[in-house]
Amino acid sequence: MKKMLVLGALMLGSALSPAFAGSGPIKIVLAEEADLLEPCMATRSNIGRIIMQNVSETLTELDVRGDKGVMPRLAEKWEQNADGSWRFTLRQGVKFSDGTTFDAKDVKHSFDRIMSDKNACESRRYFGGMTVTPTVVDDYTIDFKADPVQPILPLLLSLVTIVPEETPLEFVREPVGTGPYKLTNWTPGQQIVLSARDDYWGDKPEVTEATYLFRADPSVRAAMVQAGEVDLSPSISQLDATNLNTDFSYLDSETVYLRIDHNIAPLNDVRVRRALNIAIDREAFLGTLVPESALLATAIVPPPTLGWNPDVKVFPYDPEGAKKLLEEAKADGVKVDTPITIIARSANFPNVTEIMEAIQAQLQEVGFTIDLKFVEVAEHEQYYSKPFKEGRGPQIVAAMHDNSKGDPSFSMFFKYATDGTQSGFSDPKVDDLIKRASAAVGEERAKLWSELIAYLHDDVVADVLLFHMVGFSRVSERLDFKPTMATNGTLQLSEIKIK
Amino acid sequence: MLSFIRKRAVASLISLVGLIVMVFFLSRLTGDPAALFLPVEASAEMKDQFRELHGLNDPLLVQFGRYVGDVLTGDLGESLRKARPALDVVLEAFVWTLWLAIITMTLVTGAAIVVGSLAAFRAGGFFDRLSSIISLLGASVPDFWIAIVAIVVFSVNLGWLPTSGTGSLLHWILPICVLFIRPFGIIVQVVRGSMIGALSSAYVKTARAKGVRSGPIIFVHALRNAMLPVITVIGDQAASLLNGAVIVETIFGFPGVGKLMIDSILQRDFNVVLAAILVTALAIFLMNLLIDLAYALLDPRIRH
Repeated sequence: MKKMLVLGALMLGSALSPAFAGSGPIKIVLAEEADLLEPCMATRSNIGRIIMQNVSETLTELDVRGDKGVMPRLAEKWEQNADGSWRFTLRQGVKFSDGTTFDAKDVKHSFDRIMSDKNACESRRYFGGMTVTPTVVDDYTIDFKADPVQPILPLLLSLVTIVPEETPLEFVREPVGTGPYKLTNWTPGQQIVLSARDDYWGDKPEVTEATYLFRADPSVRAAMVQAGEVDLSPSISQLDATNLNTDFSYLDSETVYLRIDHNIAPLNDVRVRRALNIAIDREAFLGTLVPESALLATAIVPPPTLGWNPDVKVFPYDPEGAKKLLEEAKADGVKVDTPITIIARSANFPNVTEIMEAIQAQLQEVGFTIDLKFVEVAEHEQYYSKPFKEGRGPQIVAAMHDNSKGDPSFSMFFKYATDGTQSGFSDPKVDDLIKRASAAVGEERAKLWSELIAYLHDDVVADVLLFHMVGFSRVSERLDFKPTMATNGTLQLSEIKIK
Repeated sequence: MLSFIRKRAVASLISLVGLIVMVFFLSRLTGDPAALFLPVEASAEMKDQFRELHGLNDPLLVQFGRYVGDVLTGDLGESLRKARPALDVVLEAFVWTLWLAIITMTLVTGAAIVVGSLAAFRAGGFFDRLSSIISLLGASVPDFWIAIVAIVVFSVNLGWLPTSGTGSLLHWILPICVLFIRPFGIIVQVVRGSMIGALSSAYVKTARAKGVRSGPIIFVHALRNAMLPVITVIGDQAASLLNGAVIVETIFGFPGVGKLMIDSILQRDFNVVLAAILVTALAIFLMNLLIDLAYALLDPRIRH
């Protein structure tokens, strides 16, 4: 009997001791369900958050927690050949979750699949305006030849998920990858379960199984962590983020801005655009309609991005100056009182309605005539992207842009180049800078991006940059995990530690 | 009776076809699924190729002809977003909605009839006042608010019930309770009004004079005659549940058809929208038919 008691006490003791802590299953609640679990769609956030680097891995990986830049993942090293092409040496002894061995042919197939016209893989967009040809050198060596030469090809390959050679070109519903986890259950509308693999090539993660649940309402997500039903909600609302022990804010790489269509008067006049900028009291939004910890933006990309320019200063709030600029323009015959329409997207981000109404009021205060129009996502897209409608009036599109990829090239061409899909103007110097910066490497690259950011902000006055947003997350005290800028699009389970 | 059903079926079919035609063209004219599926940065070629892949580049009439042809052979097409058959997606969700509607409406009907009848029996009495206040509150308080408060109280503070989701019987309790409140409030009022009329009628007085006890008078004599308007309202309320309880589905993460429909409309996932409309419309048609039959069963004047 005594023995039994001792044994019982020992068992109880060991159950409570830290020997058992540090590994186990977790549950995560997300706002939006993944409609697909297709590896070549992993650059879309609702899909990437679940499978990127968990199920599907890439050759390279961008370090978002430190400043190591592009790090090896499935590639061990890479170098640029004399002709500008890139040679990647692949990791050996890696197996896909279906048991097949990873080699260079899989890499080539993964790339060709993304570029195929038999599917609508969205990762393809990162390879627009260039021809990239992968050539298998041997089982563990592959060359990527890009025309024109791509100095950031290793970074671009951090967006290409690797699938086995046998994967069909059409979308799959059961992703097979080399990552630390494999998909073990997907009940649409209810849950997705990833389980750790025993035959993963890298370190064994502490999280043995992750169950993803989906709730659209932020208060419910916060309540679920509080009630202990889930361990992590990467996004809750600011109002619910009240518990210092579990709730963290983090810069989430989204930038809110007003895209100006420079093609239509009076927005073609730089004085008018400058007046728009200095008529808005950005500071007044912080801690009121926009979270206190949000940053005022001077670029379309957030501060940790290469080439972000600390010398560019936020436009001052100067309503008198704005009135003066408008008077000057008016004296030169610019019709500054033409009604300008701001088109915003309902439910785009928290408080969007109130923020836009406040901006409308501030602009009208200095003499603008502003109509505010809210549309849903499908219609918003038609205003935001080219081709723009013929015969339109002066328009400003309120939008939110996400770049967590560490390099401005993922934003600059689309937003500012003459041929950019969301560009509201054409400026030869901007085109030239984008072209040169995209082709440059190292410090030269950073310098050119900085120059472009300053030129766009100070000289072109391309748009009205507003805020780099922050997100709020609730993390159970059981976990040791802090979200980062990348959490929006990638949530690596291997980075989550269990206390 | 058969000719009655046939007439109803033809009328419903005509409105269903009209609805499908309208939704087909309006949804295609107001938004481009390529722009929604692909990121804003996608090039024009990528978008064009997406449309080509899904046959969205063809003239609208050609697309419509193809759709009608497919539907007639029982093929409702693929979901653009989910890359799987639209009908599967819809049916999966509809089963949840159907159960939610059946359970909720059964409970509501039972409870509302008892409470409404008892309230009518002593109109103006304490029970009547109390039930009126409760039912008016129920019919007017917004359900998203009740849902959030219920989660905070019963899940977070008391820890009795799961906050949301599916998996066990306990998961059904909060959504059903929240869905219960509004139709209950409305139906209690209708039952009460209708019963007051019935209870003051000559046959009830006769029954009383013969010495029949209160119970049988309320639930046997009066109720049957008071049920006609009640059934109409029950049908209305059930139809709105079958269309999906969007707010409850959204808050409780219940995988029903309402939220699916809203999401597919926003994403212009045409085939899912159309399939969802077909399935729910069919369900509502069948339910209306049941209600007509119930009418005929209760009222011999309709039967003959």
